Amino acid sequence: MAKKMLEVRQLTTKYITRHGEDVYSVDHVSLDIEEGKSLGIAGESGCGKSTLALSLMGYYFPPLHYTSGDIIVDGKNISGLDPDVVRKTVLGSDVAYIPQAAMNALNPTRKVGKFIEDVIRAHELPMDSKQIREMAEQRFALLGLPVEALDKYSVELSGGMRQRVVIAVSTILNPKVLIADEPSSALDVTSQKMVIKMMKDMMAQGLVKSMIFITHELPLLYNVTDDIMVMYAGQIVERGSAHEMVFDPIHPYSRGLMNSILVPEEGTRDVKLTAIPGTPPNLKHPPAGCRFADRCRYATNACKFNQMPIIDIGGGRQYRCGMSVEQLREVYASEN
Amino acid sequence: MKSTLRNIFHSPRFMVGFIIFMVMVLTVLIYPYFITRDPLVSLGKGFLEPGTYFSIYDANNASTYRMELPEATMNRLETSLPLADRQLILDFLKAKGADLSDLDTSNDKVGELIEAWTANYDEADVKASKYEGFTTQAKRRALARLNTKLSSSASSDVMTITRGDGEEATTSSISDTDYARVDQVANAITLPLGTDNFGRDTLTELVKATGVSLIIGLIAGSIATLLGLLVGLLAGYIGGIVDDILMFIANIFTVIPGFVLLILIYYSVGQESRGVVTCAVVIGLTSWVWTARSVRSQVISLRNRDHVNLSKLSGHSLFRIVTTDILPYIASYVVMAFILQVSSGILAEAQLSLLGLGPKTTDVPTLGLMMNWAKLFGAYTSSNAWWAYFPVILVIALTSFSLNLMNTGLDQVFNPTLRD
Amino acid sequence: MTKGMRKYFKKKIFWFIITFIAALILNFLLPRLMPGDPVNAIVGKSISPGATQEQVQEQIAFYKHQFGLDKNLVGQFFDFVKNAFNGTFGVSYSQYPRLVSDIIGSGIWWTIALQLPAILVGWILGNLLGAVAAYKRGIWDKVLMPVSLFFSAIPAFGAAVILLVVFAVNLGWAPVNGAYDPGMIPNFSWSFIASVIAHYQLPFWSIVLISIGGQAVGMRSMSIYELNADYVKYSRFLGIKDTKIVRYVFRNAMLPQVTGLAMSIGSMVGGALVAETIFSYPGLGMTMYSAITQSDYPVISATTLIITIMVLLASFALDIIYAFIDPRVKAAQFD
Repeated sequence: MAKKMLEVRQLTTKYITRHGEDVYSVDHVSLDIEEGKSLGIAGESGCGKSTLALSLMGYYFPPLHYTSGDIIVDGKNISGLDPDVVRKTVLGSDVAYIPQAAMNALNPTRKVGKFIEDVIRAHELPMDSKQIREMAEQRFALLGLPVEALDKYSVELSGGMRQRVVIAVSTILNPKVLIADEPSSALDVTSQKMVIKMMKDMMAQGLVKSMIFITHELPLLYNVTDDIMVMYAGQIVERGSAHEMVFDPIHPYSRGLMNSILVPEEGTRDVKLTAIPGTPPNLKHPPAGCRFADRCRYATNACKFNQMPIIDIGGGRQYRCGMSVEQLREVYASEN
Repeated sequence: MKSTLRNIFHSPRFMVGFIIFMVMVLTVLIYPYFITRDPLVSLGKGFLEPGTYFSIYDANNASTYRMELPEATMNRLETSLPLADRQLILDFLKAKGADLSDLDTSNDKVGELIEAWTANYDEADVKASKYEGFTTQAKRRALARLNTKLSSSASSDVMTITRGDGEEATTSSISDTDYARVDQVANAITLPLGTDNFGRDTLTELVKATGVSLIIGLIAGSIATLLGLLVGLLAGYIGGIVDDILMFIANIFTVIPGFVLLILIYYSVGQESRGVVTCAVVIGLTSWVWTARSVRSQVISLRNRDHVNLSKLSGHSLFRIVTTDILPYIASYVVMAFILQVSSGILAEAQLSLLGLGPKTTDVPTLGLMMNWAKLFGAYTSSNAWWAYFPVILVIALTSFSLNLMNTGLDQVFNPTLRD
Repeated sequence: MTKGMRKYFKKKIFWFIITFIAALILNFLLPRLMPGDPVNAIVGKSISPGATQEQVQEQIAFYKHQFGLDKNLVGQFFDFVKNAFNGTFGVSYSQYPRLVSDIIGSGIWWTIALQLPAILVGWILGNLLGAVAAYKRGIWDKVLMPVSLFFSAIPAFGAAVILLVVFAVNLGWAPVNGAYDPGMIPNFSWSFIASVIAHYQLPFWSIVLISIGGQAVGMRSMSIYELNADYVKYSRFLGIKDTKIVRYVFRNAMLPQVTGLAMSIGSMVGGALVAETIFSYPGLGMTMYSAITQSDYPVISATTLIITIMVLLASFALDIIYAFIDPRVKAAQFD
């Protein structure tokens, strides 16, 4: 069995609003990723994907707060560590982050090369400016980025280039886990392809040991990641391999999500496109029972009052529903 | 729209500003119904301190009531015991060797002074010339006179008033226990802020001036905002040569600072025709520049948005595109700019008037004119009449403060990143 | 220099020159639209009461010729330009035959010595306060912001009057007006310098107080805007220290604030008007004020021209400086 790069146990984090209310947007989430593997996280906006990404860093600042659970990176539990230790030894080096809005992620008044120097200095590595520069140049060359970009400000780079530079900066310290939050959503199709290729290459070259890729564009996940996890209202509702998740979703929400997009593959042509009516619940006041019950067309009265446990059916497959896999498959079959 | 309005009225900053501003506006509107006299009528001569004034003449004719206030004598002494007498008491006590450490001669300490006097004064000792410095007859008499005065003021005293002269003269007497009710005195007036150098009731004048200044601010602000909006829309939307020319004009207005330009134009308008409205119009005409610039840059960023392009492709007229596809997007900004323009219009009038370039009118006061009068007649320095200028400064500051607060409140609603 | 840069500077210089010429014409024209004939006023003052009508006419003609007012407007304009370029600005009407450059020379140093330090101190203090308010938020922000909003709402003359009344009239800590003791003749003795410093305090602090409020409010919103920027979050997640990030933020928030500084330095003569008239400070603001009341065209034109040139230079310098120090502007301007 391959080494686990990231292991998350019952992680719960919350936002504290201006009025002092607690909003648990990551609720008892457990997941693991093995070395060399990648995990995609999907869900509608507002379902807690981005918050999960932030929570996995082990570094919290208001309004996000840590509540309970463990984050174990390559055998090291980072969840109880002092924030400054996390900053110095975990961020950027163990766990790296690619933000959602990479267009503005770079300080507009700092040259890219200088910024890389700041990042390396923050980790107190024994390198002088010249060595840092050489390292940065090598990395840029390796990733097929122009070395001149190091002497430019972010505003002087095109959108696609900016995004690739951000990825290069994020991974400069060869992180064990890379968390990418919608890294390609704002880009045109060509740039999107280049970004995806770059990330795949980095995994293949071992610059990044494991990856979490968050997006609302499911076709992307199918092509990029090994596994897919679907989140709803701060909880995991289903996990499985990318192929299983696309062609055989178990949870009604996953099914709705998969059906609302068209995967351009054999066999998906006649799948009906059905959007899911309604919106995710307000997590200030989460529903008492299954969080999806209000939007679920198969929900019974019991669903509205009973919390659903997550069920592991083996082979890395998990789902959260009151009905058995067979029952669900039967219902789906009768519909087609 | 509805939820935006609700958000605005839930913003504490906006509400505080709005309430302060409305209180001022309502005061301006309601006050004249209670105090109906002309705000510029001269009541007296020169600066009079704030307080209630009543005619002593009429007080004699008012019905009298007998009252014996416990502190009456002391109060009378406090306001009327001459400084020379106070010094005499101190000198005497010093000569007698009494403890003077916590005695002083100020009004509210007169009680202690008199107490010390009664405790220490002994007529026999004085007559025996016991005290150094009080051995001559004149000095001894002075002490005796003072003692009589102090002890007699404790007993009742009667004042006689004579009316007319010769045969027809009638006399009446007033005792120190006679009181009149202020309401029954034929002529009494309360001046909460005293009078200015012309003897005009400062409060009434201030309320009127606030109203006039608000009108100046509104006219100037409307002109500046409309002009700025128009120039900004044309320059931003049409672009090209129109943009170049309009921005060139705007540049000139920036290079010659608005205030200097204001003084020059204002002066060239001529003294005679400088009324309140002219003043407001000139201020408006010189302060549109920054509104125009901001509107222009916003319009430029809107110009190539999809919905505008769609409208263009659909063949809508320029007027329609501007009113339906551009204006709604900059409306919140224009409202904020207008508020700031009103506030700076009021300030501009005040500064102009302070320099003696204010509206040349004797019909109405403005906040700036009141400042100018206070300056010209030495309210700051020789007369030290704080009531003639401090309330004016306060009203100007409160007006800008409330308008600025409303503006930051709106800003927080419209630009959520600034939210706390 | 890239091609974009050259094009940018060429365009800037072109507009600079055009604006300058237009401003020159306006500076000449506007004062001359003012009512009142200055020559009549001078003759009225200088001529003896028993003078005949011819003598009066002769005097008027004499002064008109002296001031070049017998020429037409175009001729007067060329005189004006000529005098502006040889630096004398012609002869003052109200203080005939004193040269305008002489009158301005005696005022301008007082203005610069008063305004420049005051603007700098106000700018620095205001930006510090604004930055602290934005970074600390909480109590600092809640208390400081309404207070500085209120202070920035007090008009400049209001603050000046309050300082004057409290510290000069009532407490007697500082002199009431002027730049030095009226009994003294300017020299470099200690007593004169002490007198200058004493007279300097109130006008100085009145300007500082006013600029603090405005700067603090501006800096705070710029800083909050920057603190919420995406790069702050990203830098944090890369493990960069908060102290370093705060430096990024304040540098970025500060750059636009430089505009305010440059513009207030550029327009300091106009800004000096209020403080100088309240404290009767003998600077250029006072010079301009008395010139206006006396219809002294050459002095008015010269002072407004100085203001114009200063503002023009300040905004030109800003355009150039920004293009180099702020990559955001650079990117927007040069493509």
